[in-house]
Amino acid sequence: MRFVLAAVACLAAPIAVQAQTPDGMAAWSRIYAVASHPRCTNCHVGSSGRPAWDDLGYGRNRLHGMNIVADASRIGAESIPCRACHISAAGENAVPHSAPQIDDAWRLPPVELAWRGKSSAEVCTQLRDPETNDGFDLVGLIDHVRTSAFVNYGFKPGAGRNSAPGSVASLAQDLQTWGDAGMPCEEG
Amino acid sequence: MGRIKTIARRSFLIGSVAIAGGVAFGAYLVKRDPDNPLSADAAEGDAVFNPWVKINADGITLVTPHTDLGQGAASMQAMLIAEELDVELDQITTTPGKPAAAYYNTALASEAVPFRSNDDGFAAQAMRNTMGAVMKVLGAQVTGGSTSVPDSFDKLRQAGAVARETLKAAAAQETGLDAGQLGTERGAVILPDGTRIDYTALAARAAQIDPVSDVTLRDPSQWRLIGKPLQRLDIVAKSTGTQTYGIDLEVDGMVHASVRMNPRKGAPMLGYDATAAEGMRGVKQIVALPYGVAVIADNTWRAFRALEEIEIDWAQAPYPSEQADHWAAVEASFTPERLDKEWRNDGDVEAALEKGDIVKAEYRAPYVAHQPLEPLSALVTVTPERVDILASHQLPRFVHQRIAARLEMDDGQIHLHNQYAGGSFGHRLEFDNIDVAVDVAREVPGTPVKLTFRREEDFAQDYNRQIGMARGRGAHAGGRVTAVDLDIATVSASRSQSKRLGAPVPGPDTQIAAGAWNMRYAVPDLRVRAYAVPELAPTSSWRSVGASTAGFFAESFLDELIHAAGADPMAERLRLANDPDARAVLEAVAEMSNWGSPLGPKQGRGVALVTSFGVPVAEVVEVTDTDDGIKIDHVWVAAEVGRVVDPVTFENVVAGGVIWGLGHAMNSEITYSDGRAEQDNYHLSEGMRLHQCPVIEVRGLENNSTVRGIGEPPVPPAAPALANAIFAATGVRLREMPFHKSVTFV
Amino acid sequence: MKLNVNGSPHDVDVEDDMPLLWVLRDELGIKGVKYGCGIAQCGACTVHVDGVAVRSCQLAAGDVDGDITTIEGLGTPDALHAVQAAWIEHQVAQCGYCQSGQIMQAASLLDLNATPTDDQIDQAMSGNLCRCGTYPRIRAAVKTAATKLQGA
Repeated sequence: MRFVLAAVACLAAPIAVQAQTPDGMAAWSRIYAVASHPRCTNCHVGSSGRPAWDDLGYGRNRLHGMNIVADASRIGAESIPCRACHISAAGENAVPHSAPQIDDAWRLPPVELAWRGKSSAEVCTQLRDPETNDGFDLVGLIDHVRTSAFVNYGFKPGAGRNSAPGSVASLAQDLQTWGDAGMPCEEG
Repeated sequence: MGRIKTIARRSFLIGSVAIAGGVAFGAYLVKRDPDNPLSADAAEGDAVFNPWVKINADGITLVTPHTDLGQGAASMQAMLIAEELDVELDQITTTPGKPAAAYYNTALASEAVPFRSNDDGFAAQAMRNTMGAVMKVLGAQVTGGSTSVPDSFDKLRQAGAVARETLKAAAAQETGLDAGQLGTERGAVILPDGTRIDYTALAARAAQIDPVSDVTLRDPSQWRLIGKPLQRLDIVAKSTGTQTYGIDLEVDGMVHASVRMNPRKGAPMLGYDATAAEGMRGVKQIVALPYGVAVIADNTWRAFRALEEIEIDWAQAPYPSEQADHWAAVEASFTPERLDKEWRNDGDVEAALEKGDIVKAEYRAPYVAHQPLEPLSALVTVTPERVDILASHQLPRFVHQRIAARLEMDDGQIHLHNQYAGGSFGHRLEFDNIDVAVDVAREVPGTPVKLTFRREEDFAQDYNRQIGMARGRGAHAGGRVTAVDLDIATVSASRSQSKRLGAPVPGPDTQIAAGAWNMRYAVPDLRVRAYAVPELAPTSSWRSVGASTAGFFAESFLDELIHAAGADPMAERLRLANDPDARAVLEAVAEMSNWGSPLGPKQGRGVALVTSFGVPVAEVVEVTDTDDGIKIDHVWVAAEVGRVVDPVTFENVVAGGVIWGLGHAMNSEITYSDGRAEQDNYHLSEGMRLHQCPVIEVRGLENNSTVRGIGEPPVPPAAPALANAIFAATGVRLREMPFHKSVTFV
Repeated sequence: MKLNVNGSPHDVDVEDDMPLLWVLRDELGIKGVKYGCGIAQCGACTVHVDGVAVRSCQLAAGDVDGDITTIEGLGTPDALHAVQAAWIEHQVAQCGYCQSGQIMQAASLLDLNATPTDDQIDQAMSGNLCRCGTYPRIRAAVKTAATKLQGA
């Protein structure tokens, strides 16, 4: 569980002023295409704790059906845990419209990682700051992308579901490129 | 009389169920009571007083032939018998009994005739009597049309009283006392000295004497059970997982099966390749059928999974493949050639629409699926001698006739064992599950086959609610509604359904404009015309049938006129109401909702009054336009039913009807693409969920002397009352269901 | 494959990916758990795994990692669980087909959160579909059950 905002893990270089490079910005654009994709933003939601069902074919933008609220626990422990439907198992998710499952405890990311409805500049600023990216430095971030069952699911969501653009590998590579360029963000 | 004969010949429309015209019946047949179905199986010592009561040394059995679909029919029927029999509900067992002509439904006739339900004129009554006679001759045992209570109310109390008086006669014989000196209480005859003789001890003697036929029903002031809050017979089982439904049944040697039928409903299968399924674990047999493929397996899930591996080539749909063409067909049906019937023409509408301020509007109502939560299933065993069918059905004797014809056997060889249903809403008026289960079971004679539909198959094969539109023109003057001209065009669910029953109906469909033409308003110039759209996708009776669409059209359009006139929606309806029952239900909801009291800036109230199945129901809906969308806060509902037989279930069923009406108006439709229903599970057709449910307050009025049913009438006013409330809160007029296409709900 | 259901061990020979729902219904004959949709849309198949509500149509037999309780194991007509007693007191059921799942969900809610707010009840219970529309009574029964359990 990487829910703890680990301040001690803040090993990132200062992110103040870095020259924007074409490669770095291009990489960021691709990262943002992933981070702003409904497959990710449906769970990267804010303090409402209400996951979304954008782009599932039930109407372009809508909240998760069944009045689901993951609440402050981010796992729904106050009312109905995510795990009531989202089983922790490495399933193939072969049945369209069933509850997706992964080999991890289904949950919302921390509130600080809320991306739904946010601009490129906003998400970029969040992602390069360990205070708002779940405590990762660049190496940690790339490692997380490579190993997280959630991130993997975003690219392989199963039958009948749109996947985030690219792959785990391309996202990791783009993060590396973006990091090497000093984590540039759009003016915003 | 000539007119009555003409109507009788033309329209033997039984609620939504149509029975073919031209049935010959004579006075002899009508007078004769059908045989008591309990007699044939009566053992020595069994007293079978009538088709509903059997008592022997082992106990008291009450037969409850109206199918319990969740509406509490079994409890209600038992309560009515027990009231007069003087037994308590903990002393009896109930059974749906064997399907039999004796259980014919007389109450259906009242909705079947083309007269307003509050029309007590000679022609209307004569027609109802005629229809009642037809039902008796046909032995039409039917659960539907909100008739279980009206059909049972006198009949079952009578049955209980006959049994009670016969038991007293038996006790009189045994004791030498005069029957007039005897009392009854809690399943026993009470002698003058207080001695009790249990009914079970009197049964053998009672079986030897002719039932006492001259009985008087008790005055309502003496009732112990009717109108009292009682516990449903099935409530413990349904709260502990111990209620058995058809889908739960198991018998020795049973195999499981499931089916994929052409999703282009009614079209055949062209070919298939089951190679991948054949070797799968648990698969016993692949059965090719004209309309699809079934898999027999040792486990339901294995049958489901094998079905997914079969590649099937389906024929094209016998109706337009794309939804837009369905709407186009409806739009094109407002023509003189498609006029099914001009149901009402008061005053002179055409002249009225030449003056005053004119309002025009057009409305749409989509196909909607039934989808009770228990998927369709049937457990069938076919042998050369007999066929046993375990399933829940609303037309038990039609099942016998249909399957007998299918297998070229006699009706008497087919045995439906009716089950408690996990909901119906009209779904169990159809036969697909039983047809398919029989077709599969005949391939493995002697082996019981339990066929279960996958939910996706259930959606694909549903016969949906009629699609339709309405065009209204109206006028107002001086702050009053002066003219309403409503044209309604829908496909005819009744004709679609009756065609499948093998009994096509001549004459107009009573349902297309039901809930609209019979509006209990004295608008000076009022015309309602029904247009029949030629059959598109097949449709069927959906809880409240025609009134679910026509009631929405009529009460929405009236509301538009009232607002245009600048009148108050409640006050103007009360001014227009031309019937004491209609006025009473409106007054009730006005009082309950505190109509006219101040609301917040983003709140609104709407009201609607629709009469269906003889029951006027008024509903007030109160909504708030919140930042997250429309929230339905409160609903108040009042219904005139003559008599509330079972108040606990009444409240539950009325609230459920409101929720059904609201939820589907908000969230549900079926659309076609490539000839298939696009919605295949609840994520795309969910009705209402708990979080959207308002607080609902229910009142049953008992002013009228006619006892009516309540399963369907609460549905039709819900959609227009909601649309009218949303208009009041937001200024947005919703003219098309489902409303979530136009507004967001919390 | 070994499963512990309602306190009794069972050894079943099924595919790893057979949903628990069908193991319970067709292999073990436990019929209180219902099939409604197969895709976690209706909640009729809700059981408890180590006391927490789970849709048994979504849980593959091979992934079961705890003790299973079905409605039959929650309480019986002769020994009702407080939630079942509340369901009877309020006469919640109409057709009743969804009610096993409703009751199992409500029991799990009250186990996690003994004093749920009205909003939390609406959150926890909106995944269980009731086509008859018994929602007002479900709300009332959950509150009654919460009171009963707190008094216990």
